[in-house]
Amino acid sequence: MGARVRGLLRWAAWLAAAAALTAGMAAVRADLERVHVALAYLLLVLAASSSGTRALGLVVAVVAFLCFNFFFLPPYQNFGLSDRRDWLVLLTFLAVATVATQLLHRARRQAAEVQRLSAEAGRAAALREADRLKDALIAAVSHDLRTPLTTIKALAHDLGETGDERAVTIEEEADRLNRFVADLLDLSRLNAGELRVAPEIVAAEDLVGAALQRVSGSLGDREMRVELHPHEPLLLGRFDFVQSLRVLVNLLENAHKYAPAATPIELSVSRDGGRLVFRVADRGPGVPEDERERIFHPFYRRPQGEADAGGAGLGLSISRRLAEAQGGTLAFEPRPGGGSVFVFTLPSADLADPATLPG
Amino acid sequence: MRGMTETTILVIDDEPQIRRVVRNALEGDAVRVLEAATGREGMDRAAAERPDLIVLDLGLPDVAGASVCAEIRGWSSAPIVVLSARHSEHEKVALLDAGADDYVTKPFSPAELRARVRAQLRRSRAEPRAGGGGPVELDGLRIDLARRVLSKDGGEVHLTPTEWDLLRAFVSNAGRTLTHDQIFRAVWGRAGGGDPQAYLRVHVANLRRKIERDSVRPALIVTEPGVGYRFRALD
Repeated sequence: MGARVRGLLRWAAWLAAAAALTAGMAAVRADLERVHVALAYLLLVLAASSSGTRALGLVVAVVAFLCFNFFFLPPYQNFGLSDRRDWLVLLTFLAVATVATQLLHRARRQAAEVQRLSAEAGRAAALREADRLKDALIAAVSHDLRTPLTTIKALAHDLGETGDERAVTIEEEADRLNRFVADLLDLSRLNAGELRVAPEIVAAEDLVGAALQRVSGSLGDREMRVELHPHEPLLLGRFDFVQSLRVLVNLLENAHKYAPAATPIELSVSRDGGRLVFRVADRGPGVPEDERERIFHPFYRRPQGEADAGGAGLGLSISRRLAEAQGGTLAFEPRPGGGSVFVFTLPSADLADPATLPG
Repeated sequence: MRGMTETTILVIDDEPQIRRVVRNALEGDAVRVLEAATGREGMDRAAAERPDLIVLDLGLPDVAGASVCAEIRGWSSAPIVVLSARHSEHEKVALLDAGADDYVTKPFSPAELRARVRAQLRRSRAEPRAGGGGPVELDGLRIDLARRVLSKDGGEVHLTPTEWDLLRAFVSNAGRTLTHDQIFRAVWGRAGGGDPQAYLRVHVANLRRKIERDSVRPALIVTEPGVGYRFRALD
């Protein structure tokens, strides 16, 4: 049975009830006073509006008003009134019936709203709890994974020293798995707003040096060109060293993964107004125009056919969010002549004369 | 039979697999490896056996790593190398401040652990000489802390007083990771905070430009991200 049919039946039932009440009271009209009739009708209106919609309540009120007038106020079977004071009775009845209907309706709406809000609050709490459990799970998994990964790495390393090439692959894969889990953990922390940044005054070459040191193992024989002039004044920024290092290392490792081995990776640092600008340029395949924003989405994978870089597609999305969390930016630019340039900016800082600081 | 030159290393870790990895990586002709599965047992064995070096895992079930460090530091100067999980720079800093000498991040390779442990053993044996003795020479640098004379490839280099204090802190702790706070105390004589703390990195950058061959690829003062700096071990 549809809601519409149920609604119609309810209307029919209350109108029938109004008719039955009228007929019943009409049969004993001689014994009733106006106030009895008015109270009986009022009860009917209240019952109708509490069981149905506001419209039903109002219609029953009007019907009762008309029946009251037609059957119970002289002259009978007529809408005219012989006693003018009866208008007051009728209008009072109509006003009370309407106001009562309205009040009932409002009370019901508020009750529904309260119910909805508490259901929503319950849902939000459940979602938060689910999020917390997910993060706790990821944290626990990533922590517990480190012990077996250490064992695997160590055994593979020992095997590798006996000349088994496959052991090197096992060790590399263990590292990759570790990075993947760490990325998931970071993404989950970023989503939960738990990743704290601690900005401090840093020399750009300190950051670049730490990044070069960190990638020195994985870059192998790759030529790295760094454009940063040690004779010019120190380039200073105000940013979180650890998080910025992760962004820069990620950009260098990406460039290494995608660009042909014989091509150099170029890293330059410059100052542009209130920003330090780090540019990582490679001669890889670049990024098609319609993918240039999507590469920063979580779990983005380059279209098939290109070399699988073996990541989970989290690096760039995490990097951009780390950059933005410190008031910086991360963007892609096509490189003239082919390849990619990733432009990473961070807030710059000024000291009166960095070479002669107060001790 | 334990010979005079034998080195004893104590591994404190609740995971038997990790203890085995550490044992395999470090055990050798002249190295004896002892094991402890809890922090309490580790402290007891350290007191009884007086190891030359201690490898300490952070995630012990019974005692916090920093407490183990601080307790052992109370009566022993044996180097402590910490095994830690990633994402816990704060923890590393707390441990170094509590007296640990170095840390290795899990998952680590045996070669990395061996290198760190050897560097710490070398440093602890050389300790009586460092800081006290004559000029130190490395990489074309000649550092005379007593006379405050620094030369690079024969030419004299001028350092500011703060840079001298920094260099002294680094050289006398060569091979050891110093936290920002430890450097700060060594140079400014009190715990970190305020303006000079903000400039610590800038002083280091300036010092690097004066002593490194390539300040973008520093070989002497190595950055330990989120933790501090480490001066290259003296040979």
